[in-house]
Amino acid sequence: MIPEKLAPTPSSPAPRPRSNGVPDNPLAAELTRSLGPKKVLSARSERLNYRYDAIQFGAVPLAVVLPESTADVVAAVRAARAAGVPIVGRGAASGLSGGAAPLRESLVVSFTRMTRLEVFPKRREARAQSGVVTLSVTEKARPHGLIYPPDPASFRTSTIGGNLGENAGGPMCFKYGVTGDYVKALEFVDEGGEVHELTRDAYDLAGLLIGSEGTLGLITEVTLRLTPPPRYTRTLMASFPEVGEAAEAVSAAIAAGAVPSKLEFMDRACTNAVEDFLDIGLPREAGAVLLVDTDGDDLETVEEERALVEAACLKAGGAVRRAQSDAESAALWQARRSVSPALGRIRPQRMNEDIVVPRSVLPEVVREIRALGDASGLPLVQFGHIGDGNLHPNVLFDPRRESPQAVHDLAHRIALVAIRHGGVLSGEHGIGTMKRPFMREAVDPVTLGALWSVKHALDPRGLLNPGKILPDEEGDGAHAHP
Amino acid sequence: MAHAVDACVHCGFCLPACPTYALLGDEMDSPRGRIVLMKEVLEGALPLEDAAPHLDRCLGCQACVTACPSGVPYGELITSFRGWSEPRRQRSPLDRAKRSAILKILPAPKVFSVAARIGQYAKPLAPLLPAALRAPMDLLPERVPAMQPNAGFTPAKSKRRGRVAFLAGCAQQALTPNFNAATLRVLSRNGVEVVIPEGQGCCGAAALHTGARDEALRLVRQNLDAFHPDEYDAILSNAAGCGAGLKEYPVVLHGLPDEERARAFAAKVQDISEYLGGLLREGDLERPMPTSRPLTVAYHDACHLAHAQGVRAAPRELLRAIPGVTVAEVPEGDLCCGSAGTYNLEQPELANQLGIRKARNILSTTPDLIASGNIGCHTQIQSHVRRAGDRVPVMHTVEVLDLAYRGEL
Ligand SMILES: Cc1cc2nc3c(=O)[nH]c(=O)nc-3n(C[C@H](O)[C@H](O)[C@H](O)COP(=O)(O)OP(=O)(O)OC[C@H]3O[C@@H](n4cnc5c(N)ncnc54)[C@H](O)[C@@H]3O)c2cc1C
Ligand code: SF4
Ligand code: SF4
Repeated sequence: MIPEKLAPTPSSPAPRPRSNGVPDNPLAAELTRSLGPKKVLSARSERLNYRYDAIQFGAVPLAVVLPESTADVVAAVRAARAAGVPIVGRGAASGLSGGAAPLRESLVVSFTRMTRLEVFPKRREARAQSGVVTLSVTEKARPHGLIYPPDPASFRTSTIGGNLGENAGGPMCFKYGVTGDYVKALEFVDEGGEVHELTRDAYDLAGLLIGSEGTLGLITEVTLRLTPPPRYTRTLMASFPEVGEAAEAVSAAIAAGAVPSKLEFMDRACTNAVEDFLDIGLPREAGAVLLVDTDGDDLETVEEERALVEAACLKAGGAVRRAQSDAESAALWQARRSVSPALGRIRPQRMNEDIVVPRSVLPEVVREIRALGDASGLPLVQFGHIGDGNLHPNVLFDPRRESPQAVHDLAHRIALVAIRHGGVLSGEHGIGTMKRPFMREAVDPVTLGALWSVKHALDPRGLLNPGKILPDEEGDGAHAHP
Repeated sequence: MAHAVDACVHCGFCLPACPTYALLGDEMDSPRGRIVLMKEVLEGALPLEDAAPHLDRCLGCQACVTACPSGVPYGELITSFRGWSEPRRQRSPLDRAKRSAILKILPAPKVFSVAARIGQYAKPLAPLLPAALRAPMDLLPERVPAMQPNAGFTPAKSKRRGRVAFLAGCAQQALTPNFNAATLRVLSRNGVEVVIPEGQGCCGAAALHTGARDEALRLVRQNLDAFHPDEYDAILSNAAGCGAGLKEYPVVLHGLPDEERARAFAAKVQDISEYLGGLLREGDLERPMPTSRPLTVAYHDACHLAHAQGVRAAPRELLRAIPGVTVAEVPEGDLCCGSAGTYNLEQPELANQLGIRKARNILSTTPDLIASGNIGCHTQIQSHVRRAGDRVPVMHTVEVLDLAYRGEL
């Protein structure tokens, strides 16, 4: 859903599409000349597919570059700058806030072919080009007794570059931290086409790039920290009649001193959508389900921690099932990872929130959001990394049946619940275009000013992923309350 | 079709499953991208000929369907799109001739046998031929076996447990007659009598998936007339592609007069491994003899078995039921081998790359035997394993079982 104000500017009447490889605009022609035809997509049939991410469609880009090296990225950035064309970085386009969808005719730099990956077991590090698929870092590190913990549900698809762009998290981040915690150094190409290598000392400029959604520079290579996996992991599933009870169990378990490695929840609509896909016997009747892993190198402690969580769940009114085998826990975690796309079975489109609230207020927050959903009459579901207080309330809709305005209003009211309880708008999916209209309410004007200063310093011409994250500088705020 | 297109939430979960995306790394050659292209073409926003190259590269392997949590019926989408677009395509006369030849030869076992024999003698000339003609020849075995006539009825050898109808298949009869022979032996040994109904023909899948819809409808109706589902416990196929085709009949006839008949028919269709797996689970399968030495069997999931029919466990269980056999899982096991019906005739380049990759992955398990449940995969894998310089035998799952029964493993 694109708020009116952000709707892509209609492009000039499309010239008759050609697929014979002859570029149909000067930028594409220039890029083809400097990079060769294999790395440049210029026919409309090819560019069409680079206008969306996992939530939103934008404008058809003017050209798409598929770089194979940092030097290719530099050439692409220079050409776009010379032509005054905006630049949008793109990984697997699994983003959920509109980040990789161009808002107007742009150059899309798609990193999917930059997939060089080296593991240095002695240093417990990996060096990855941006297009490396997240899961493959762990796959390549595991034979050396190491893993890469950040695990967004999309980790089979998403890229390291996109993970840095969004500072992605996942179930593991409750205990082990998010993407940014594993970045030791990164290389990026700035708006002028210069290459920089950043570490995390002095000014943490790398930290600034992480989570900047392609608005400050294009990340080309990353040095990632690897860790040995815990020796033991135990999985538990608890189901509750009502969603607030699940949240109570979470607060109680953590207060009792448990530090599960993963602590996730999904409500009834989620478990049912997933059951339709996987058919693995999730409790269809439950109002909410918690999925919990405890792990460590000492089996006794791991079991003790599981017992703590179990007790908290029982006390909150839940029924508990322990996974009996690795296969059973793998199936349960696949279930959790499938929630988000499985919601497509309910409605084809959704407005996806990514709020984070203090754990102490979780029960009120999930109940308030449930009530807002019920009152609106729109299909609303909740799931997320509840251990971190990171919730994903989703408003599902079909534009032919439900009014986009009603959807937007509901999303806005949910955002306000988070803010009222001392929470923030985005835990991991970024602001993109989806949550940009709420930024003025979530961030005070002085801080927004500081963010703008950073943006101007690194992107003086405003060519890097324009229209994302920051609201218009001299905007009157009225648009934030449609 | 519009509904199916809308069901895609463009999440990208299907990307890692797609063989062409794995090879080409661009969005147009991914399931998500193809869905968008189809939509654009159907809405008139993109000329068909611009989208066609990317849609033609789709193997129809349905790995994306297995991967898609939103339940997008991609297989039905691409099939109906091909049916819609084929009459609108501008193809060169040579191209047309090639396609219609494929569709005539493949489904007719006798013609195929003759063609294969000619091909076999022409093999030494292959390097001189254009790629389009070279590809099919590469796949021919060194020796094309003689056709074996099929008995219309095979009685049960032990206590009678069931009665099934069997689809004898097309090209497979000519290339690997032992698939059917082994199937009949294994069934009959397990007390199942087998009828090969007269008048049956090609399942129609090849025609359907290349967009020759009228021809497909004709073949489907022919089979509906030949098989009478209520007379049998099951209708069996031992070729994953054909089995998937038979199970698709209700979709093919959706909204047409024979839809109900198709439904009754499809409800009875099973792959041979599904059926035998059922006997195994009931404790009704005769125990195979132990192997003479420990054997590692690499099991290859045929797309049309694993993705289109969702049959993964049964063949593995059958192999494991042979004492002495260890089943090895193939790395990147979900990635198509590149055979995919007529794909290696139409996209020899990509099919070849996938075949090489598949052979490398399979051989990395250092197998003593390779098993799979589809004639297309069989020829593709055999030819690429041989080209990689390895002589390890490639067999149908049911052939392995048959050998085990005879104490020859
Ligand atoms: C089903 C599903 C489940 C998900 N679950 C999670 C989850 O659990 N946790 C989570 O955090 N996210 C999740 N996501 C969101 C998404 O997968 C992540 O945000 C992921 O990090 C995006 O990676 P990508 O490669 O797809 O990036 P893209 O979507 O292509 O891009 C994301 C942003 O990063 C920018 N970008 C991409 N590459 C670069 C680069 N090299 N340099 C600079 N900027 C770049 C883009 O411009 C864009 O703003 C989920 C998404 C889906 C569809
Ligand atoms: S996984 Fe399904 S919903 Fe997601 S992009 Fe692929 S086809 Fe669409
Ligand atoms: S059917 Fe196979 S080749 Fe075609 S889009 Fe799906 S996964 Fe890719």
